[in-house]
Parts: sequence; structure tokens; C-alpha cells
Amino acid sequence: MNGLVKQRVAGGILRRGLATASQTPRLKTFKIYRWNPDKPAEKPRLQSFQVDLDDCGPMVLDALLKIKDQQDSSLTLRRSCREGICGSCAMNIGGRNTLACLCKIDQDHKKETKIYPLPHMYIIKDLVPDLTNFYQQYKSIQPYLQRSTFPADGKEVLQSVADRKKLDGLYECILCACCSTACPSYWWNQEQYLGPAVLMQAYRWLVDSRDQAGAIRKNMLQNSMSLYRCHTIMNCTRTCPKGLNPGLAIAEIKKAIATD
Amino acid sequence: MFRTTLRAASPIASRAISRPLVAKSAFIGASKFVAPIRFYTAAPVDKKEITSRVIDVIKAFDKTAASSEVTGQTYFHKDLGLDSLDTVELLVAIEEEFDIEIPDKVADDLKSVGETVDYIASNPEAN
Amino acid sequence: MAKRLSGLQKEVIHLYRGCIRVAHTKPRPNQPHFVSYIREEFGKYKGLPKKDFTAIEHLLRVGHKRKDLYSQPELKDIH
Repeated sequence: MNGLVKQRVAGGILRRGLATASQTPRLKTFKIYRWNPDKPAEKPRLQSFQVDLDDCGPMVLDALLKIKDQQDSSLTLRRSCREGICGSCAMNIGGRNTLACLCKIDQDHKKETKIYPLPHMYIIKDLVPDLTNFYQQYKSIQPYLQRSTFPADGKEVLQSVADRKKLDGLYECILCACCSTACPSYWWNQEQYLGPAVLMQAYRWLVDSRDQAGAIRKNMLQNSMSLYRCHTIMNCTRTCPKGLNPGLAIAEIKKAIATD
Repeated sequence: MFRTTLRAASPIASRAISRPLVAKSAFIGASKFVAPIRFYTAAPVDKKEITSRVIDVIKAFDKTAASSEVTGQTYFHKDLGLDSLDTVELLVAIEEEFDIEIPDKVADDLKSVGETVDYIASNPEAN
Repeated sequence: MAKRLSGLQKEVIHLYRGCIRVAHTKPRPNQPHFVSYIREEFGKYKGLPKKDFTAIEHLLRVGHKRKDLYSQPELKDIH
């Protein structure tokens, strides 16, 4: 009995091994944007890499890391958590801004996949965009709780279940910048328009029942550029890799300011 | 009725007469203060001193050849062989010497010792 | 000097001026280190064609960033 099981298992492994070996490798071509800041006079280009899909994890990030490990160690990208919670590996894959770690490789190995950095951003190297301006804009909305009074008992500020619920769909944002860099308005007015990601966080603090700086926050957005460059194109919502709705949040801010 | 209008008019008349007097004295006072300032900024002696100090800075600058002669007519590029970036360095050194900051727009157009001296002479903050 | 500088060239000159001014804010004995570093960094790209706008604009951005970084008073010397 015991011997029979062993035999079967061994046979299974053998058969599976043979099956893959007999097949031709499923080589898929990835065309990846390359640009090296050390040679600024050289123009950016697309470089092709071939990856065997049977010998690679399911996500685009797996393929990218496999290329970096085995083919070209100079390929440069940001990555960290590999599970869609850090927002580091945001890039443009097959024409859509998304996180490489959450994007499955298209298993049709005859089709090539093009990978670019986030569009309309200054590039530091290869797939790494310069997010300085984005982070500065985030800083400018003062993304922290502001209160003039605190509970007398020195404990935390309480919030009702209903008020807490208002933050759902807002607090999950990981600031990967996929939505902002998908927005045409943001492309043309990056310096002044805050962009969907930052505006959604502005709203997140605006609706927080514990925050007391709402009037100041609204006042900061009261100009033609910061908020009102949103023309409800909704690329932000369509592209968000976390399934959030920045477009709705911006609409809510506009409503809140209009009904003030 | 006529009297009242006359009386009303008289203080105006007297004020009208006194006004030029006040204005005159103010003018005299102003010219007293303005004159030395104008003299100070446009003093020909100062310009000579500025030129010599500018020339000293140029001679101390490591990119100018020690042999080259520097006068008020010397051009940084043509005569001293300085490129645009060297000129920038030189002008910053001159700024330090006179404790001023030459705005970018002005500094872009300074091409000779004479032009630089003229600008420094016209800058009241130079010392 | 008949040649007129383009706007981009002027921007480079302004950056260079800013950098040299920063160098002069450093402790006196170390100032030559900063100046020679600035000359070296700008000298690296002396041969860049002046029509290569994208490369020059990129280098300007990098330069401004590095200037801001090196302007910090805590930074006193460079090698």
C-alpha cells in the first residue's frame, strides 16, 4: 500500500516533469522603457526582454524582477512589498497605470507587453519617476488631524461608527500616484493642480469628524487651480489599482464648498 | 453778505501766499540732503577706487593669466579668455568684494571691467 | 562678443551663479573644494550640443536639486 502511493507520486512528478520539458518554452516579450541619467544625451528607448512564462511568477513584477536578476541587472524600478500595499511599483503596463505587483501577466505569450514609467513625469531612471512635486502637494494639504481642543481625560478623540464609515474608500489610498498621472488635467497643470490622489486625501481630512480645520482646508482649495482643474474626466477612478474613487471624492469637495 | 464772502476768502488767500514759501523752504531743505548723497554715489574718485579694486579681484582670480594686463577697457571674454562660466565666478567674487548681489539680468550683460565698474558705481549698496 | 545666449543657456549660467554663491557660504578653507566640484560637474557636459533641450533641461533639474541639497548649512565640506 505504502509502496503503491510512493510509486504513484513519483510517477506523477516524472510525468509532469516530462510534460514541461517536452513543450517549447512559452517565451513572452516585454518591451521596457529604458533611460539612463548618466548618459543624458542618449534618447530613451524601448528594450525587449524575453521571459519564459512557465518559469515565472504570475505578476508583472515577477517578470520584471526575473529580468533584473537574470538578464540585465541595470534595469531600475521601485518595488517593496510585492502585495499592493506600499505603492512603490506604480508604472504604466500595457497602457494602463497600475501596480506591477497587482497586475497579472497576460498569459498570451504571442502578445508583447509594453512597460513604461508613469506618464508625464520627470524620469530619474528607467521606470523610476520623480515624485517630489507629488509629495510636496500632499504635504501642502496638511494631511494630519488638526484640533484646537482635546478631550479632558487625555485619551483619544472618539468617533461614532457612522462617522468612521465616511472614511472608508478614502483612507485605503496608498499614494501610488497612478490616478494623478492618468489625469490629463494633471499632465498640463502639474505645478498648480493638486491632482486626484492629493485631493482625495484633502477630502479624507475634510470629512473626518475629529478634524476641526475644515474651514481652513476648504479655503485652501478656493482658487481656480488647486481643485477646479478637475473636469470629471474620471481616468483616476478607472485606473486606481486599489479600486478607489478619487473622482467621487473631488465631486464631494466641490459640493461641500458650493453648499457652504 | 459780501463781507462774509470776503472774510471767508481771506484766509484762503493768505494760505495761497504762504504755500510757495513753505514749498521753497522744503525744496532748500531737500536739496541740502540730496546733494551730498548724489555726490557720494557719483564721485569720480570712487570710480577710480572701484576700478582698482575690481582689477585686484580679477588678478587674484585663478583663471586669469597672471601676465594679462587689466584696464577699464578690458573685456572678460575677448581679452582675458574667460568663458561664460568663468565670468560668472569672477562676478561673484566681485560681488563679495563690494558686498552686493548683482541680479541675474544685470550680470548677464556685464562683459567688461568698465561695465562692471559702472554698475557698482550706480549701486548705492556697494561699499 | 557678438554671440547671444539662448534662454536655456542663460538658465545654465544662472544655475552656475547660484552654485558658486552657495560655495561662498561654506567655511573659507573648504570653498575651493566646492568650486572645483562645481567646475567638474558642469565641465562633464561641456560637449553637449546646445540643441539637446531634453538633456539640458534634465541636467538643470538635477542641478537645482543638488544645489538645494548642498545649500544646507550642515554640509561643510566636499571631496
